[in-house]
Amino acid sequence: MSANQLRPLDVLKGVRFTRELVLLCLLIVLVVVLGQMSPVFFTVGNLLNTSRFFVEVGLIALGMTLIIITGGIDLSVGAAMALVAVTVGLAHQSGVPMALALVLGLAVGLAAGLFNGLMITRLDLHPLVVTLGTFALFRGIALGVSGGGAVSSFPQWFEYFGQFYLGPVPGQLFVFIAAVTAVWLLLSRTPFGRYVYAIGNNEEAARFSGVPVRRVKVVLYTGIGVLVSMAAVIYTSRVSTSRADFGAGLELDVISAVVLGGASIYGGSGTIAGTVLGVVIIATLRNGLSLAGVETTWQVFLLGVLLIAAVFVNEFFRRREE
Amino acid sequence: MSAIEASAQSRVEHRAAAAVHPPIFRLAGVTKRFGGVTAVEAVDFDLRRGEVHAQVGENGAGKSTLVKLVGGLYVPDEGRVEVGGEVVQFSSPRDSEAAGIAMIPQELDLFLELSAAENLFVGRRRPRRPWGALDWRQMEARAREQLGALGVEFDVEAPVERLSMANRQIMLIAKALMGDAAAVVMDEPTSSLTEREAARLFRIIDELTARGVGVVYISHRLGEVFMVADRITVLRDGQHVRTAPASELDSEEVVRLMVGRSLDELFSRGGHEAGDVALEVRGLTRTGEFEDIDLTVRHGEVVGIAGLIGAGRTELAQTIFGVRAAERGEVLVDGEPVELDSPAAAMEAGIGYVPEERQSQGLVLPFTIAANISLSILGRLSRLGFVASQRERETADGFAEQLAIRGARVSEPVSRLSGGNQQKVVLAKSLAGGPQVLLLDEPTRGVDVGAKSEIYRLIDRLASEGRAIVLISSELEEVLSMADRVLVMREGRVSAELSREEATQERVIAAATGVAVGEDEGAEGAAPAASVDTER
Amino acid sequence: MSGVGALRSVGLRTAPTTRGLRRWLLRPEAPAAVFLVVLLAAFSLAADRFLTPDNLESILVQVAVLGIIALAVNQVILAGEIDISVGSMLGLCAVAVGTVATATGGLLAPLAAGVATGVLAGAVNGLLVTLGRIPSIIVTLGMLYALRGVILLVTGGTWITQIPDETRVLGLAKLAGVSLPVFVMFALFLIVNAVSRNSTWGRDVFAVGGNRRAARLAGLAIDRTRLLAFALVGAFVGIAATIYVGRAGSVQTNAGEGLELQVIAAVVIGGTSIAGGRGSALAPVIGAVLIGVILNGMILVGVPGVWQSAVLGALILLAVTTDALRRRLVGGAA
Repeated sequence: MSANQLRPLDVLKGVRFTRELVLLCLLIVLVVVLGQMSPVFFTVGNLLNTSRFFVEVGLIALGMTLIIITGGIDLSVGAAMALVAVTVGLAHQSGVPMALALVLGLAVGLAAGLFNGLMITRLDLHPLVVTLGTFALFRGIALGVSGGGAVSSFPQWFEYFGQFYLGPVPGQLFVFIAAVTAVWLLLSRTPFGRYVYAIGNNEEAARFSGVPVRRVKVVLYTGIGVLVSMAAVIYTSRVSTSRADFGAGLELDVISAVVLGGASIYGGSGTIAGTVLGVVIIATLRNGLSLAGVETTWQVFLLGVLLIAAVFVNEFFRRREE
Repeated sequence: MSAIEASAQSRVEHRAAAAVHPPIFRLAGVTKRFGGVTAVEAVDFDLRRGEVHAQVGENGAGKSTLVKLVGGLYVPDEGRVEVGGEVVQFSSPRDSEAAGIAMIPQELDLFLELSAAENLFVGRRRPRRPWGALDWRQMEARAREQLGALGVEFDVEAPVERLSMANRQIMLIAKALMGDAAAVVMDEPTSSLTEREAARLFRIIDELTARGVGVVYISHRLGEVFMVADRITVLRDGQHVRTAPASELDSEEVVRLMVGRSLDELFSRGGHEAGDVALEVRGLTRTGEFEDIDLTVRHGEVVGIAGLIGAGRTELAQTIFGVRAAERGEVLVDGEPVELDSPAAAMEAGIGYVPEERQSQGLVLPFTIAANISLSILGRLSRLGFVASQRERETADGFAEQLAIRGARVSEPVSRLSGGNQQKVVLAKSLAGGPQVLLLDEPTRGVDVGAKSEIYRLIDRLASEGRAIVLISSELEEVLSMADRVLVMREGRVSAELSREEATQERVIAAATGVAVGEDEGAEGAAPAASVDTER
Repeated sequence: MSGVGALRSVGLRTAPTTRGLRRWLLRPEAPAAVFLVVLLAAFSLAADRFLTPDNLESILVQVAVLGIIALAVNQVILAGEIDISVGSMLGLCAVAVGTVATATGGLLAPLAAGVATGVLAGAVNGLLVTLGRIPSIIVTLGMLYALRGVILLVTGGTWITQIPDETRVLGLAKLAGVSLPVFVMFALFLIVNAVSRNSTWGRDVFAVGGNRRAARLAGLAIDRTRLLAFALVGAFVGIAATIYVGRAGSVQTNAGEGLELQVIAAVVIGGTSIAGGRGSALAPVIGAVLIGVILNGMILVGVPGVWQSAVLGALILLAVTTDALRRRLVGGAA
């Protein structure tokens, strides 16, 4: 390709047509439009309040981004969240001190992720199949042990995890920002992050280069288990209840956010910045449309269309670049 | 009279007839570029009825590009493709097949889950019953018939993934011959065949040419080429060098044309004193791949491993490197046993490996050159758990300079580099860990002559620095010129170990294909594979 | 021809006597079939009421909707794609069936409406995957949302009730003592099995899913093959929706929720590889029946219903683990 042959798109090259830029524009448009539709929307209080609803999805989406970059997927996160919530609830109900109950919940989330990771790496199974199985298994155990009942009446201090405000800022937003920073550093600055991208782009070459492919994967699935535990605790605290039907359909929101954020479902590409934008857009859409009086039906529809459109645009530009 | 002699005689007869007809196909001045790289430039090539026209050239000379131009996989940037005197535009393999040109597909193009019979018919008109359903019985019968014509018989109903490599290869040939092809293109058809199977293939070629079918024959083995070819075309670095009747050429001349300079100029190997034992392999075994391999390589020594494709060479190297799990046996580096469970452990012990498949095993293509070079040593390049990008770039720059990686900066994606320079990046990556033992698996595959000679110089330098080098190669000249000692593998075992002085083309090929060395000593010059047993 | 004899022994790695058994064990649905037999035996011993014609029939009726949809999704998975939109698609088709049924009555018109709706939705999936070149998991995930939205828009969130009896025939009637849904499931299985084995499209599905590159080189119509598979899912969902409406007698807006995962579970448990190219038309039926047997048997032996999902999950994991171990023991592709 000679340098003098300018194709129309080459002009745009200077602007670095990144996925994140597109998403940011989309978010701005969304905010402006929603602001027009609802006077309440454009208040700082509402914008911050929106964040209360996306932290659970957002935390899990961070882990999911790394998993999707390696070419994997985890469908079991919603079910695992229910399992953790039920564990915490039942432990508390049976007289275990709340702090210990939280530790138990964390351990269960970690074990659930570890189980996924070991099944996938030790038996060379497709992550989609394994986590489909654990999707049903974890949910089933949660339903089974809880008998479908709910636990509430948690101690007063437990509310801090999901209902604490620092001024107008919800407490869990700080947790989220800390987690975003940590995972962003991990992915973009450490050898581990480099391994994640290497596995997603060429797993065989990564293996031949001495990258501990299996260990990286086990760490990723275990890690998302820990993030799920955190999300479960925040959610349980926010709604002051633990039930086995928590997190139903959560995996789809999480995967949508990650994919909307530009991660390729085939693996190899994706960024934390993109995922955060994806999470915020979905949350804004859901919250903003509610405020604007748009029915939930439209929200679900728009979410589906947006997902397909976003990936289409993404693939379209990727192909143009080649 | 042997089959080969008989065929040689019959070929003389129909060669006379062939000259009367127009060529089956002709490439006239074709040029094909990929980005900035010219793969072939203004090449002429034609194939007449009933002849075997061989294409020879080094790796990267443009043979496979030419084949793909004929096969409709590539469209030439310049020049014409003519079939039967008419200019044609092939836009897909289907077009070239419809024009009567059959390609032997690659192993990759098999449907592993489907039966052998079905594989032969995928994409073709399948026999049907009167009410429209596929007629499996007839399909299987015709598959057996087709394979029978090639002198083999195996379970055509079993999935192809259960067939041996040799049977898969024969199946691929059978698939190419399914239609009524006027021309058949064979690209390294014997690379995984034993002597006996190769002899059968040559008989098939005779039958084909006797029917007026033209055969394009591409092979690294000059002995074979001189045995089957009527005409030979030599390519070098994408350029047409010479086309001449086989009778007017001899192997020395062909090698000289292929390399473009004398072999001494291409290969550089100084005399070095070998030091202590660096790598020792004892009784290493993976059933079905290789068994009871013993191997010793000293510091400063280059040991070549020759053999057919499928002889177990790559599998052996990958097991030493820990990519494959060893069943039995041990590996020692400088007398210390190596944990054979992961590449990381092997690298820790001082073993480096340059894999055979550059793009799928050697490189992460979207990564930058620097990120590829540093991938194995990120831990060492990190500070407080974070990758020190300064240190990473300096390391990469160092290797880029040392190995003369040209064409892009280290901060650019490795995919921008030419094949030869990409290969240097793979070499740099394997050297980054500072290995004492280096396993090189086809290190010059698909690189141009210039990069090749640089890689040979590098191998020589590494050896002179005291590293132990194992050189696996299917290019005999490479092994013979670079190695201090040659091991030949056949069907998973070491069939011969030859010193530099003992190692001749004939001996290596004999050991690789299973003819006793003793019988072969009288063989002349460059016709090593000519001692075919005649079967009946 | 002494050489042929030598080569023959290269070609056949095992003696002919063990070949038949070995080949059978290598069939994709073999572990599920063995497991199904073991389960049937175990439940028969554990619960008297299990091995009765009535109970077995009711199991098959229970899994008919699942089995029919799994038959078609199996083809999509064989072709190397995936369809996780069937839950919402079933809901939408049920709405179509219900709406037409309450307006016109009869069986054919609602059935046609259901199938047409399904084919339309399936074609949209297929076109977005083939022409839009969007990964199928994304397309069908998006459609899972979008179609559920369409259902709510169309119905305004209200249920469709009072489905006329003549429409409910497909879900409720019996023929020769066997319920129609069971007949429909087996008839569709026979058709798909014959097409899968004996038609060009059926074979191309395996080729396209097994080796996309080789399929392209062989000149197969990759896009058309996949598009047809997605459309087939729509058609079968339409038929299944008519059975569903017939049995339920009403249409709720959440009809079919979560069905997509059960369907994929049935396909995978049956032995079709999620990676494509490997499997059979029998696999989804065996998978669906296995799910039905285990859920039914559990209730009969007194396991509380809340454990259903856990058992289903364990079953999926057991099936794929067995398959992985089997491959290692019998030896897969080297």
